[in-house]
Amino acid sequence: MRALGLSAAGLAVSGPLSASGRLLVVGGTPDPRDPEVPNEEVARILTRLFGDRPIRRGHLSLDMPAVAEDGRIVPVIIESDLPMTAERYVKAVHLIVDYNPDPHLAAYHLTPAIGQVAIQSRIKMKRTTWVRAILETSTGEVWADYAHVNVSLNGCG
Amino acid sequence: MTIGDARIRIPDRIAKGDLITVNAIVSHPMDTGFFRTAGGQPIPAYFIKDVVVTYGDEQVARFEWTSGVSKDPIVSFTLRADTEAPLTMVWTDSKGGVYKQSVNVAFAAA
Repeated sequence: MRALGLSAAGLAVSGPLSASGRLLVVGGTPDPRDPEVPNEEVARILTRLFGDRPIRRGHLSLDMPAVAEDGRIVPVIIESDLPMTAERYVKAVHLIVDYNPDPHLAAYHLTPAIGQVAIQSRIKMKRTTWVRAILETSTGEVWADYAHVNVSLNGCG
Repeated sequence: MTIGDARIRIPDRIAKGDLITVNAIVSHPMDTGFFRTAGGQPIPAYFIKDVVVTYGDEQVARFEWTSGVSKDPIVSFTLRADTEAPLTMVWTDSKGGVYKQSVNVAFAAA
């Protein structure tokens, strides 16, 4: 899925720490650690949401447990260091769970009044998979982070 | 809690301009449609699909959910407390149920 810009060779990763202490990649080069797009359904979702814009890792952190014992309740924390001003803000964050029955799990549409991207929720996961958090700014930039979650108990039936 | 009971929590003391954290929960089964009862009957999909957040007269956020959000959905997000006004959330489910809750953002006396 090189056309989607998800798996091209990338440069070395460096960048400042986010509020949660995780590494944020500000440079935004495609990263070899980015997950492959697993199937047509996820490819369609990504194309519908972001067209042919590159989906680069950076400016976003997706915090999830590496192991989720109960797939019915998996905590999610999404944070971004991008500004929330009238001129430039994060207008949406999409949460995509590759191997869930309905992969496009949630969309959070935001405005500058939110002040900062710091969203927490709890989701269901069917099985071990990559989870994608992808944001879109009001100026059309697309930034992503990924988390691989091992699911012990199927939470989707 | 019965379906649609909702709570919104914001800090007790807020000063004008604070970035506050809003925690919200609504009681809902969030059925996926993939489970069956003990008797083998399918449980149809039934979930919150839309959440609208209004602060004063302004819609400040909207969340689109699927049945992949956990039962009794929680969400937390931030808000720039610029004005004294109600913060209202409206949850709409896949059967047309509409559930509303509000809190008042008021500034603590200096």
